[in-house]
Amino acid sequence: MDVVVCLKQVVDPELPVRDFAVDPGTQRQVREGRPLVISTYDENALEVALQLKDASGAKVKVLTLGPAAAVSEAIRLALAMGADEAIVVDDPRAPELSGAEKACTLAAAIRRIGSADLILTGCESADWAERVVAPLLAEDLGAACVTFVSRVEAGDGAPVVRRLVEDGYHLVEVRLPAVLSVTSDESNRPRLPKVKDIMAAKRKPVQTWSPADLTRSSARDPGAGVEVRGVVVPERTSRCEFLTGEPAEQVTALAQRLRDQKLL
Amino acid sequence: MDPLVPTREIYWNIPAFGVVIMYLLAAASVAVFGHGVYQHFRMWRRGQPVDRLTPIWPRLRSVLLHVAAHGRLLAERVPGIYHLALFWGFAFLLVGTMVVFVQADLRLPIMRGSFYLYFQSLALDLMGAAATAGVAAAMVMRYVFKSPRLRRGILSDGVILWFLGAILLTGFLVEGLRIAGTRDPWGPWSPVGYQISVLSGVVEMSSTAIRGSHAVLWWVHFVLSMVFVAYIPRSKLFHLLLAPVNVYLRPLSDVGSPRLVDFEKVERFGAFAFSELTWKDLFDLDVCTECGRCTAACPANTTGKLLSPMEVVLDLRDEMARTGGVSGPVLAGGVVQAEALWGCTTCLACMEACPVFIEHVPKIVEMRRYLAMEEAVVPDLMGEALRSLEARGHPFRGAGIARTAWTAGIDVKSLPRGEAAEWLLWVGCAAALNERNHSTLRALVRVLHAAGVDLAILGDEETCTGDPARAMGNEYLFQTLARQTIETLDRYAVKKIVTACPHCYNTFKHTYPQMGGRYEVWHHAQLLAHLVETGRIAPTEPMDSIVAFHDPCYLGRHNGEYAAPRRVLRAIPGVRAVEMSRCRENGFCCGAGGGLYWSEDRTGQRINHARTDQAVASGAQIVATACPFCMLMIEDGVAARETVVRPLDVAELLDRSIGGSR
Repeated sequence: MDVVVCLKQVVDPELPVRDFAVDPGTQRQVREGRPLVISTYDENALEVALQLKDASGAKVKVLTLGPAAAVSEAIRLALAMGADEAIVVDDPRAPELSGAEKACTLAAAIRRIGSADLILTGCESADWAERVVAPLLAEDLGAACVTFVSRVEAGDGAPVVRRLVEDGYHLVEVRLPAVLSVTSDESNRPRLPKVKDIMAAKRKPVQTWSPADLTRSSARDPGAGVEVRGVVVPERTSRCEFLTGEPAEQVTALAQRLRDQKLL
Repeated sequence: MDPLVPTREIYWNIPAFGVVIMYLLAAASVAVFGHGVYQHFRMWRRGQPVDRLTPIWPRLRSVLLHVAAHGRLLAERVPGIYHLALFWGFAFLLVGTMVVFVQADLRLPIMRGSFYLYFQSLALDLMGAAATAGVAAAMVMRYVFKSPRLRRGILSDGVILWFLGAILLTGFLVEGLRIAGTRDPWGPWSPVGYQISVLSGVVEMSSTAIRGSHAVLWWVHFVLSMVFVAYIPRSKLFHLLLAPVNVYLRPLSDVGSPRLVDFEKVERFGAFAFSELTWKDLFDLDVCTECGRCTAACPANTTGKLLSPMEVVLDLRDEMARTGGVSGPVLAGGVVQAEALWGCTTCLACMEACPVFIEHVPKIVEMRRYLAMEEAVVPDLMGEALRSLEARGHPFRGAGIARTAWTAGIDVKSLPRGEAAEWLLWVGCAAALNERNHSTLRALVRVLHAAGVDLAILGDEETCTGDPARAMGNEYLFQTLARQTIETLDRYAVKKIVTACPHCYNTFKHTYPQMGGRYEVWHHAQLLAHLVETGRIAPTEPMDSIVAFHDPCYLGRHNGEYAAPRRVLRAIPGVRAVEMSRCRENGFCCGAGGGLYWSEDRTGQRINHARTDQAVASGAQIVATACPFCMLMIEDGVAARETVVRPLDVAELLDRSIGGSR
């Protein structure tokens, strides 16, 4: 089985609040000087793929869209964790693209890869959380789509996937090819790379493609429909007020304030 | 024989052919002994090289202190004293046997005159009696008081003790019967033997009976002794030979640290097989006397965890004996269970307690290395810490605050801003990224500024020294982080470092020099003690509190620094110092060492809760410490126990006493 995992590199979601900033020109998060990591659920997707590799010898390719210079860390980690090869679609504009635009480019790249039985993505990205890439990929590729998957069991027949829902899960049999969006769960906690694999990762094949080399599906205009008008960092303020007067007056005033806030 | 020169007849009552048989038996016994030693020697040689032979003098001094004077054994008074009696008793008897050999076989007439009377008769008899008392005490400890730490080898210990007892008893009986049989005029110089000879007169033994029983007992005594010698390398008696050697081979500095791995050269990381431990590690295994002091001291074991440092050593020893150290199952996770390996806080309580200086912790870390680097299987929280170290340069996943958040409201120089200073204040992730420790850092800076110390920080350019990764067994990540840190330090030409974290301190002091990073490094408690003692800080405001100091393991046992923080406390007026039941060399870990800050500590009692209970029991109002990890653990323990004991860093206490916090 051939598995393609789409990985997105994002600014570390655990960045200190102080370092979070929005570029007013692009309305996107400032990336310069910030640590970049693989988006959280994408790591779970990679883990699900690697479990398929362990269980049934699937071949795992990782696919990422971004400025090639910036994504090497993410690629290196994915290869060290056990992916067989990597494809980078080198697009310096990638961080500014919408989910729909990205899905269109990724679908074109997957068509160029040729064989892809399962395409895995995170269920949402750690920065924009649009949740559109998996369904749009499926539509573009004419593949089945299951969202919020935690686990895939590949037997002799069609794979059976576990789809998490509130208070339980669905077991769904999928026909291939299929696009699965993966959520996190105890069973797909991303593995640590072995030191030997970290060393071997340096020798694994990484292909870099230009978006110009890809044939996007002509049926749709992915840019249309969504425009980001503005992004702001929520401000948190705290106010401290001293109540004056005799203790009895202070208590009355405090009680009144608490009632005003509907806390009493 | 001149009847006026004191001596005695050797081989009285033993015919010449008996002496020949004796020599044949002795030769056989020595051969069996030698074969046994060689079997072990072959196994030790499979280990990796490590230099432990030099320097000679400090090593010999340590043999004098811990073998001749029983330094560590006497830490437990009663067993220490009876072992001392056993040790010196048998040492004298061995010398006495040598004297007989010199006299009888080398034909050098030394066993005569006052030497015969004072040494060969009186001293040997008394030391024999002391050894007998020692044997009896060891039996009482095991079979009457049933000492809980002596759980292992309770049967084989019995065999050994009966053996020793029988050799001593038959020795005395043979001596007594000879005194009676030869009407030895110097008999009273051997008080025990003489009493036996008197007794034989009382029971009116005929001279035939004396000769007959003497002959039988002489052979019993001799054969027992020879079997004993042959048995030595096949039992824990081996420690008679190996323990003094192991004391000589002890680590002299950087105690308890694992070896630096050369990733260019090593094929497999960590201890899969015996050949991946050092020869000293393998030697250690055969030295163990199963006394259980390590396990009794272990904070993990005493709070109900699976780890028992003694069982780790003995499981490895038994497996080495079974396989000849050649192959067999994997050590890490096979011979020693992974759960036991991950339970170790690397606090060194076991190593400090071991009277024969076995090094448990480096073996445990070496086995962790196999799990962490070859299998890449570590406990979940540790795995997250490792991933965070890799991605963010610190192990605190979800910290979400900036490294310089603690500097709000105080003015600290910063090297990245181009400001130079004499000292680098190395903050450490545990302090910078956990709000509780911010007040420690601010207090420290206030005190240092008050003393006129010129310091700067690295701010956002500081990254983890790698200590947690190293303790968790990921030496590869450790070295990556260490190289990065050394590069940063060298870029700013840092010479002198003061740090508020004992883990960082230990790494700078012992590990970085092996990687080319050499700095003058002080722990903040040391610098504060120095400043107080040189009059640069004058604590004046009284604290009026009962204070107990909790020794951080990486300051105390790892670096031998027990005094400096206590000197700081003593300088603060009104502080009444008390000690917890476990302090200094015997201090009790907070539970965070060895990367176990990132563990759930779900089995048994939590280590930090147990430590908090000890703090409460000491009657202290304040637990002083000098480590950001200890601080977090004790804060947690105090909250869980709902006690009024407050943990404070020595810097915070000193700061209050110079009026800094207001």
